[in-house]
Amino acid sequence: MGFNDVYDYVDGKLDWLAAGLPTEGTNTLVPRAGDVARSDAPTCRMDETIDDVQERVKAGGWDACVVVNDEHVVMGLLRSKELEEKGRPVEHVMRPGPSTFRPHVSILEMATFMREHDLKNSPVTTSDGRLVGLLYREDAEREAHESHSHDDHAAGDAP
Amino acid sequence: MTSAQVMKTACKVCGVEVERCAGCERERCEAMICYRCLRLQLGQSLAHPHVHGG
Repeated sequence: MGFNDVYDYVDGKLDWLAAGLPTEGTNTLVPRAGDVARSDAPTCRMDETIDDVQERVKAGGWDACVVVNDEHVVMGLLRSKELEEKGRPVEHVMRPGPSTFRPHVSILEMATFMREHDLKNSPVTTSDGRLVGLLYREDAEREAHESHSHDDHAAGDAP
Repeated sequence: MTSAQVMKTACKVCGVEVERCAGCERERCEAMICYRCLRLQLGQSLAHPHVHGG
């Protein structure tokens, strides 16, 4: 068929998408959670104290911090409330095992979901739990709105 | 309610009993959803094609 090297991605198509790996086709034009999530979101380790983390997080203008291990796998989340627990270890304060979302979920779905569940931010991870970024609802809603407006214009331009 | 009693509520999609929402981790949520329905709703996993696993 003209292919020289053929590989079998044994974990399947969904895992490929969930890892944020490249895709082709018209569907790739739809913005995804992984595209909009802030990849520079602050992270910390479980053995740090809230005091150290809070200083770093606030200095960067953030209001949340993702707790990760050495492999960058998400272990927990510190939101504003947890970041106020001064003098305590991160491990004792963090929200353990937060709900995470895959990078391939469309931004429109994420925006709707975050609004319905009143989520300010959510970690986006690969299917093996590695952090991709922190998705903020304001970013998701803005991107979903822009994407929707763009679709409307495109439809209006059609003969 | 005593401390030994746990608040139970149901997933709005499939009706399965859950203790907290899989989406926002709250014990009370208007859009309560179980972990399985959350994965399926957002296309993060697929429904198993056969009950017997074939």
